[in-house]
Amino acid sequence: MNHRMVNALDPQNMNRFSEASVSVEIETEDMTLNIGPQHPSTHGVLRLVAKVDGEKVHDVKPVLGYMHRGYEKLAEVRSYPQITTLVNRIDWVAGFSNEIPFIAGAERLMEIDVPERAKHIRLILTEMARISSHFVFNGAYALEVGALTPIFYAMEDRERVLDLIESVTGGRFHPNFNRIGGVKPAAGAGPTSKKNIQDLPAGFYRDTKVAMEKVIQAADQFQNLIGGNEVFKKRTKNVGVLTAETAEAYGVSGPILRASGVKSDLRTQTDYLPYDQFDYDIPVGENGDCYDRWDVRVKEMVESAKIVLQAIDSMPSGPLQAKVPKVIKVPQGRTYVRAENPKGEMGYYIVSDGGLGPYRLKVRTASFSNVSILPIMLEGALLPDLIAIMGSLDFVLGDVDR
Amino acid sequence: MEEFFNKIKENFKDATLEFETINIQIDSTDWIEVHKKLRDEFNLKFFSWLSAIDWDNEVSVGEAPKESVSPSFEIITCLSDLANTNLVTVSTSISKSEPNINSLIEVYDGANWHEREAYEMFGINFENHPNLEKLYLPDGYEGNPMLKSFELISREVKPWPGEVDVEGMPEESESDESSDG
Repeated sequence: MNHRMVNALDPQNMNRFSEASVSVEIETEDMTLNIGPQHPSTHGVLRLVAKVDGEKVHDVKPVLGYMHRGYEKLAEVRSYPQITTLVNRIDWVAGFSNEIPFIAGAERLMEIDVPERAKHIRLILTEMARISSHFVFNGAYALEVGALTPIFYAMEDRERVLDLIESVTGGRFHPNFNRIGGVKPAAGAGPTSKKNIQDLPAGFYRDTKVAMEKVIQAADQFQNLIGGNEVFKKRTKNVGVLTAETAEAYGVSGPILRASGVKSDLRTQTDYLPYDQFDYDIPVGENGDCYDRWDVRVKEMVESAKIVLQAIDSMPSGPLQAKVPKVIKVPQGRTYVRAENPKGEMGYYIVSDGGLGPYRLKVRTASFSNVSILPIMLEGALLPDLIAIMGSLDFVLGDVDR
Repeated sequence: MEEFFNKIKENFKDATLEFETINIQIDSTDWIEVHKKLRDEFNLKFFSWLSAIDWDNEVSVGEAPKESVSPSFEIITCLSDLANTNLVTVSTSISKSEPNINSLIEVYDGANWHEREAYEMFGINFENHPNLEKLYLPDGYEGNPMLKSFELISREVKPWPGEVDVEGMPEESESDESSDG
């Protein structure tokens, strides 16, 4: 805030003005700028109340709750199998990934050993969800910083991955495919009987191989089309720098954290899915700026495609479902299961009292913590960078508000 | 993990290790000090979340606890260490008549929004919080929705039809322990 008034008529100042200097301090006033809730770059309905001083932004207040659906309360009146349907809708860009930590938590409390084949199918679909989420990010982010073309490529490529998810689960966005103890028989697999349970649709391996090769090509294309663009570089390099210390204190996770140079990935650190059987890299950024956050995600798409290709080659045979009781009751106890979702750490803290549903279900979503950093990152940023910084966090409002 | 658990044990005798998670129960007066200690001495710098549980015997949603509990709020934080797998939850109990606890913002900046959420959902007062106002709920909203005494209106008006799904399924030719396909 600059409130220094310069009197131009004061003889002492006359000399300064005669030199036609433009660096005159003038009185400026803060303007309150309301952004959203209906704004295309908010990926949903986030409202920001920003104070701007000319082009400088300071004191940003995110206003949440436009998407709040009260899942934690709803979960208390639903049974465990019913909650799977609810959690699908938290981060709808990667619906499949939301089911995994919840199901894994219930299985952990019930001490169920999930068959290897079911775990592999879960892993493949989780990675596909990650790829489709990153496709959306790539297209949308380029759009936000002014490049119109990439979103058309991204959406076309994403559709190929969504088709695969649909062929297995029957749903593009809300698969509702996991069951406690395993996965359900695939949707496109034809008629099933108790004796002959088909799991994956015909031609799934072939189509997946083609699609994953395309993903690797698409990532390469994005590196040239977006990353090689001078305008994109100017808009994103050294913009919105986030240090690892701040990120940790705010619980920022996922690609944003890795872009700040922290090599932390729950896929390797925990065992909710058998990631240890595969060979892949964890891309890490250096500067923690918008460009790095974009770059890390593009590289992650390639790694995810590699994991899927390996998982298909090493798919074990066997049942899809462990033996589970007909009426699912989770024994008394509590557990927290976290997973590396496309947007960061997602976890469910299940407090069970031995009933049909949880006594309390705490949903920890990645975007909630990731968005809480916005006021810090936008402090002192330029107004045109506001959208670039916000977009680079890649949040979904369903994931923020729950 | 074992080594880390033993180190925690030296400082917190009641700590338990279950499902790869260390749980520490503490007194609410030590809330700030314990978190400072965990952050600085045990390198638990990653603040994952903070939330609360409403323990009550009389509930208007869901099922009441099977064993009688003393009505209280349990506040839980989840901390982890990014370099390895150490995961710690810290919990404390506060009374429902005086639901006051110190704000963790001075230790973890990220506690801000989590505390605001617990404040509006449970009515817990976080002392020394710089901006303790509603996060999700609209202005003028009355009540704390996550309390067990808070009714789910739609459920009162019409019973949840899905309930029939979880009660006795028709018997099939196989044994009771069949998978649910």
